[in-house]
Amino acid sequence: MGLFDRLAGLFGLRKREVNVLVVGLDNSGKSTLLNHFKPDDHKSGDVVPTIGFNVEKFQNKNVAFTAFDMSGQGRYRSLWEHYYKDCQGIIFVVDSSDKLRFVVAKDELDTLLQHPDIANRRIPILFFANKMDVKEAMSAVKISAALGLDRISNKPWHICASNAVTGEGLQEGVEWLTGQIWEYLERRR
Amino acid sequence: MIAFKREKKEEEEASSNPYQNLEKTTVLQEARAFNDNVINHRKCTLILSKILYLLNQGESFGTTEATETFFAMTRLFQSKDPVLRRMVYLGIKELSHIAEDVIIVTSSLTKDMTGKEDHYRGAAIRALCTITDSSMLQALERYLKQAIVDKLPSVSSAALVRAYHLTSTNGELVKRWVSEAQEAINSDNVMVQYHALGVLYHIRKADRLAVTKLVGKLAKSHLKSPFAVALLIRIAAKLVDEEDNPVESPFFDFLEACLRHKSELVIFEAAHAIINLKKITPRELNPAISVLQLFCSSSKPALKFAAVRTLNKVAITHPASVTNCNVDLENLITDPNRSIATLAITTLLKTGAESSIDRLMKQIASFVSEISDEFKVVVVQAIKSLCLKFPRKHSTLMQFLSALLRDEGGLDYKAAIADTIITIIEENPEAKETGLSHLCEFIEDCEHTSLAVRILHLLAPVRAAAVSALAQFAAFCPNLLSNILVLLMRCQMDSDDEVRDRATLYYQLLSTDNKTLTNQYILNTLQSSVVALEKALGSYIQSSTDQPFDIKAVPLVQAVPEGPKAAPTFDAPKKQEINKPVVNEASFTDELTKIPELARIPLGGLFKSCEKQQLTEAETEYVVTVKKHVFNRFFVLQFGVQNTLADQLLEKVHIQLELPDGFNQVAEVRIPKLPYNQPATAYAVVTWPDDIEVASSGTIGAALKFVVKDCDPDTGLPDSDEGYDDEYVLEDIDISLCDHLLGVSRPNFAASWDELKEEREETYALSSASSIPEAVKNITSFLGIQPCDRTDRVPEGKSSHVLLLAGVFRGGVEVLAKAKLVLSDGVNLQLTVRSPIDSIAELITSAIG
Repeated sequence: MGLFDRLAGLFGLRKREVNVLVVGLDNSGKSTLLNHFKPDDHKSGDVVPTIGFNVEKFQNKNVAFTAFDMSGQGRYRSLWEHYYKDCQGIIFVVDSSDKLRFVVAKDELDTLLQHPDIANRRIPILFFANKMDVKEAMSAVKISAALGLDRISNKPWHICASNAVTGEGLQEGVEWLTGQIWEYLERRR
Repeated sequence: MIAFKREKKEEEEASSNPYQNLEKTTVLQEARAFNDNVINHRKCTLILSKILYLLNQGESFGTTEATETFFAMTRLFQSKDPVLRRMVYLGIKELSHIAEDVIIVTSSLTKDMTGKEDHYRGAAIRALCTITDSSMLQALERYLKQAIVDKLPSVSSAALVRAYHLTSTNGELVKRWVSEAQEAINSDNVMVQYHALGVLYHIRKADRLAVTKLVGKLAKSHLKSPFAVALLIRIAAKLVDEEDNPVESPFFDFLEACLRHKSELVIFEAAHAIINLKKITPRELNPAISVLQLFCSSSKPALKFAAVRTLNKVAITHPASVTNCNVDLENLITDPNRSIATLAITTLLKTGAESSIDRLMKQIASFVSEISDEFKVVVVQAIKSLCLKFPRKHSTLMQFLSALLRDEGGLDYKAAIADTIITIIEENPEAKETGLSHLCEFIEDCEHTSLAVRILHLLAPVRAAAVSALAQFAAFCPNLLSNILVLLMRCQMDSDDEVRDRATLYYQLLSTDNKTLTNQYILNTLQSSVVALEKALGSYIQSSTDQPFDIKAVPLVQAVPEGPKAAPTFDAPKKQEINKPVVNEASFTDELTKIPELARIPLGGLFKSCEKQQLTEAETEYVVTVKKHVFNRFFVLQFGVQNTLADQLLEKVHIQLELPDGFNQVAEVRIPKLPYNQPATAYAVVTWPDDIEVASSGTIGAALKFVVKDCDPDTGLPDSDEGYDDEYVLEDIDISLCDHLLGVSRPNFAASWDELKEEREETYALSSASSIPEAVKNITSFLGIQPCDRTDRVPEGKSSHVLLLAGVFRGGVEVLAKAKLVLSDGVNLQLTVRSPIDSIAELITSAIG
């Protein structure tokens, strides 16, 4: 990478295109979360359970994201792995109020981390502890403990509490991800 | 779009197919480009085209390969390029049958289907319905129902067409969409209206009443779309065809009204529908034909072609109705479009007079080499029907056919020609020699084995049969005689007995050069019942043998058209019980000689036994049946009598006959006792009148006479010895011409025909028959003699037919008949009968009417 490129990157002049995978259990708020990033005239009024997947595009700073919004329903989770190979970032959404299914989320996360296409890559993972506005929601710290995030040693990760309906906390998370991906891509050069 | 244009240009530049040498593995490697972060839509479109090409070429994809490609392809949803997106839809549809988990694209397609991008929506509906199973459809139902009534025609049509296809797998679900389809049928768009009608009809297809209602409503509503009207015409025509009297159906008026529609498409469809109705009369046909006649002079080739093709078809069934168009058809002969010209000529051939054939044939010959095989077959078929219609023209036609046979052509075409020649040979004895020689010439260098075998089969089946066939050739064509004698002489050294025997016999017969001998023994062989002949010969040897053996006394074999009535078995009479009806001639004669009253009458050999006839209603006190057994001078009435009253014993039962003048009863056998439910047999023997005309028809009155004694139902013993006379009137017994005639098969009708010189001819109009097959059936059953040379089978759609019949009159007199049938208002019949005895011929010709 030449000096000019580096400068252009630093000043946000050069655009980067990246693929990110949005996963998580059903009803955790993945589609709603992505809906928030869409321009106002493209927002869909009612969000229905996704069957299969949807492709959404949004931009943050000089990075253009192509997000694969995967269905969280049990029978479709096995299809996530088809998209592992070519993603440069993962967004894992957790419903902070759904204590009962933390174990299920942990199980899916472990499966994801052990997958050969993911295990040995330094791929950034962003966790959203979604639905923070709900009364019985757990804090981000407690969730990170419940999911055992401290075990993840070979990947940068970050967790932030969010409210996909209002958009609270989303910007913070995506900014972190943008920075990480930028770094990740630099390192691969 | 640009990508498409570019590709097209490339295609034009490179003369060969750019996709020609594709390797599946290479293409799948290339498909990795789908996973790139930045999609190159032009490149991906090309790769998808290649994949689709491979799939359509029949390249097989493994499940893993297909699934991987499918999932890679799903990433292309991120591209907004419309061309690429359409390729993705196609790819989804093609791969959905092979790949797993195709359900993954459901949400993406649903988004496209309901989205704002209009030209995605129709295609998305189509793709979505291909990947979903019935359980998922429930979830999509809401969207599909909305799509049907969408204001965008492409979306509405796509949803309707999918609904149409879904009726076969998810009929119940689609039935719930009727109201949406009803709404769509009012659309202004021609296609939507057409598709909506298709769906509505498909849903209701099984329910005749609902279809009738649908058609009735729409016929009045003046649909805007000509396609929808055309479909409606087809549905209506189907309904009309199911009626017994099509003209009275209310929908027939609709069909006729459509002949005046402003769209040519609809007019043609209506004319086509009317013409194809099964029970249509020329009067109703005329408006439809005049519409087609107008089309014939149209400037549009498609219209001309459609019209002349339909006329060509209807000319087979209703040639008279098409003759009005002859002038217009003549103009089309010179049409630059060869297909139209061919159809015009063949139509003319079907409708035209005998005199115009030579001219038309010349015209065909001038361009037959320019038309495709398919149309050549049409020409050949026209010639075939022509030959049957005008047997005298066979030489012109046969010459033309043999010329065609020598030309280049595919199997179908050659087979059609060979078929035609074979039919001509079978139908027309005069054409036999030339026809056979043409066929022989053809198989010498025939490249189609199946055809050669067929012709060889016609010429000579197996060696023994071949010898017979050879002998028959010789008998037919005297100029081949010397050659065949040489062949037969060689066959006398054959290893097979049968072949040697036959060869020796035929050699001897043929070398005598005696026409009558050859006719009798080669062309028309033995018709006596083999069993009866064996028996007659046996008894002849035991007798004094001072008189020559009379073969005419041996009962003849009734030519049996179908299987179940097998030839009589020799040991049958011994097993037969009295209550079983006597079936076959040999055993019946046996049985008669056992009855002393009848044994004294010199009955002679049995000529034929008629079908059993009921003389009482099925459930009456006494059940009586009668069977006529015809002998040369007598006939025996065999009555089966049964008493169905448990408290009655009948005695001295006999049948009293009221005979017409000329008939004389010479003997009878009574039933002494007839207890309850035990069948018994009574006989009456009657002499035939000397005048055969008197004998040929008559009615015999009959009454059952008996003495009744009341008896105990349980024991069957009479209460007293006293009885009283009683009488029970039976139905009349009819004597008809067919009682005197027995059908025999004449393998060579023509030779027998030529041998008999005396001839009687008469012409009739058969008003009772409305079609040729019906007339054939009537004549055959009325005369009771056997159709020859398979002339009882009338090819469908022919307007004339020659029925050949052969039989034997009582006493062994040969009778041959030719019935020429021509379809006009009824059926016209020209009956020619030949028989050695003129009075018999006269009787038969005068009997029909």
